[in-house]
Amino acid sequence: MRGSIVVSGVSKRFKRSSGDKLSSFKETVLSGFRPIETHSFWALQDVSFTVQKGRSVGVVGRNGAGKSTLLRLIGGVGKPTDGTIDVHGRIGALLDLNAGLSDDLTGKENVFIAGVIAGMTRAEVRSCYDSIVTFAELEPFMEMPIRTYSSGMRMRLAFSVAAHMSPDVLLIDEVLAVGDLHFQRKCLERIATIKASGTTIFLVSHDSSQIRALCDEVLLLKQGRVITYGPTQAVMDLYEADAAPALEDRPNIAVEAERLPGGRLLQHGVNRSGSQEVQIKAVRLLHPDGGTARTIVSGGGFVVEFDLLAKRPVHSALASVTIHTRDGSPCFDTNTEIGGMNLGVLTDSVGLRLSIDRLDLAGGEYFVSMGAYLQGWQGLYDYHDRCYEFSVVGPHSGRGFMNPPSAWSRLPPASSTGKGDAGTAWHSKGAGR
Amino acid sequence: MAALPSSISFGTEGARCRAWVHARDLAYELVMRELKIRYKRSALGIAWSLLNPLSQIIILAFLFRSVLDLNIPHYASFVFVGVLAWTWFSGAVTTAAFAITSNAELVRRPGFPTYVLPLITVASNGVHFVLALPMMLVVTVLDGGRVGASLLCLPAVMAAQFAFTAGLAYFVAATHVRFRDTQHLVSIATMLAFYLTPVFYSSAVVPAQYRFLHYANPMAVLLDAYRSILMDGVWPSLVPLAGLTIASCCVLATGMLLFRRMSLSFAEEI
Repeated sequence: MRGSIVVSGVSKRFKRSSGDKLSSFKETVLSGFRPIETHSFWALQDVSFTVQKGRSVGVVGRNGAGKSTLLRLIGGVGKPTDGTIDVHGRIGALLDLNAGLSDDLTGKENVFIAGVIAGMTRAEVRSCYDSIVTFAELEPFMEMPIRTYSSGMRMRLAFSVAAHMSPDVLLIDEVLAVGDLHFQRKCLERIATIKASGTTIFLVSHDSSQIRALCDEVLLLKQGRVITYGPTQAVMDLYEADAAPALEDRPNIAVEAERLPGGRLLQHGVNRSGSQEVQIKAVRLLHPDGGTARTIVSGGGFVVEFDLLAKRPVHSALASVTIHTRDGSPCFDTNTEIGGMNLGVLTDSVGLRLSIDRLDLAGGEYFVSMGAYLQGWQGLYDYHDRCYEFSVVGPHSGRGFMNPPSAWSRLPPASSTGKGDAGTAWHSKGAGR
Repeated sequence: MAALPSSISFGTEGARCRAWVHARDLAYELVMRELKIRYKRSALGIAWSLLNPLSQIIILAFLFRSVLDLNIPHYASFVFVGVLAWTWFSGAVTTAAFAITSNAELVRRPGFPTYVLPLITVASNGVHFVLALPMMLVVTVLDGGRVGASLLCLPAVMAAQFAFTAGLAYFVAATHVRFRDTQHLVSIATMLAFYLTPVFYSSAVVPAQYRFLHYANPMAVLLDAYRSILMDGVWPSLVPLAGLTIASCCVLATGMLLFRRMSLSFAEEI
């Protein structure tokens, strides 16, 4: 479909020649045509996801997580070492705004150059030239060489040109807003308009608030791998917990992949994250009577039990449990802080139980995630992302995930009682207020 | 889908047509930018582009008419034609080395058609040739040369030179990304080629046993054709020119293929 992005199994390896010298014929000849020693690293590994037309997807992750590499590969710059990328429709990019601006040329000349570089034809630039100038608020300066512009004016001009593209897929790398506060707000409004017009947006940013404001889904990358891809709220919570300064990039304690009962592989960096100083062990999904709950009846009780194993004594750790729908949206999220439980000093192992009296979920399949966090949510010890699965038997309309006790009934005819009149009277009164 | 740098699965005919229009507009704007930047802040402006070949012409004309007489009739216009066409060629090929490496931010840009960049170096050098043409005609006429209907095939000869030069430009631009001493090799090679090509001497003096080598040199064939048109007012000889056109197309196709293969790794190597 036009405007969609399909990335499947993409890996990208970069070769770095030893030393920072650029290669030359001379060197190649002198080294007797032996291949110059290189070491390579994987910038992306086995990345797969799909973006539907008109969705906006944010990419988060630390520096070097592979965000920009992914963005450029999607833009057709370079070729993945492995896997395929399908982008349907015209691509536009909002990045490196300064690229292609020439100091000695006038604002007007630069609009045309930046426009064609951004992917517009000259006719297209001409037709929205006035709009570009008005948006940039630079009407009086267009005949002046831009070496006389302030850096803010240059950025406004460049952003304004780039924001007038009408691509099917818009790739944005960090430059969502430029200039002063007033202009930044204008930039964000413009992006929102582009999004509303049905353009698919792929946004790389470090600014959590912008991602939360603009994105439908978020892709969390870590060292070139997809940690998780799902609804903004859920992924950003995980990212922010993970990105807390106390947390090391790698687990402090070596951790091997575990095979969970049910066959799923629990692997650090894939569906497990955190420093591992406290580990979540032996997760049990149970019926209230203690039997293993692979399937529950809608409205029935549900118990989650797990052990926390501390590798060193920790203070006031926190634990959370989240129930997700199949597509990753959280439907229930709670933690020991909400539950008023203080874990105190954790020295060895402690078992925790979360009893849910009734789980009024619609029929379907659900996943459970759980996490163990540092005191005051300062960082993440361990997180099992949607590793545990159970199903709910019950009515399901295809939308929504709640199934509280509910009943339909027919109201008595309105004319036979005064009730209907009273309702109308109340409504008109309400409108009058 | 192969992630080509030029177009990302445009699919429909209209989109492909649009991509061509865009590439043309892009080339136009970037050539104009290069010319404007070069001449905007100089008093003489675009006239500078003529001074370099002019000085060379004056030196050569003095040298080979007054000092070491080569006995070539209408030597001023003879050397004028040679130097102008040669300057276009050698200027384009030597600056092509930087077509990719000095435009890193454009090459790394999603959706940017990288293949336009070497064409821009050839075209902006070609602009100087075109601008000098009227002056060349004036000199020819003053020098007693004849100009006639054969001028009509000048664009075809220029197109052949464009194709040949562009093929080499693709090759040089792509190679320079991998091997940064390509620029030095290219300037040495063009200097050697300058003496192997009848720029300031006539192809008539080439000994018969080397004549085949002479015809294997596309620039020699091109210069002969230019001189037939601009000095003698006759149609250039068809067979070498047809061979040249075919050879130019082959060079261009090879250069583009190589460029396309190597362009996939440009972004990470510059």
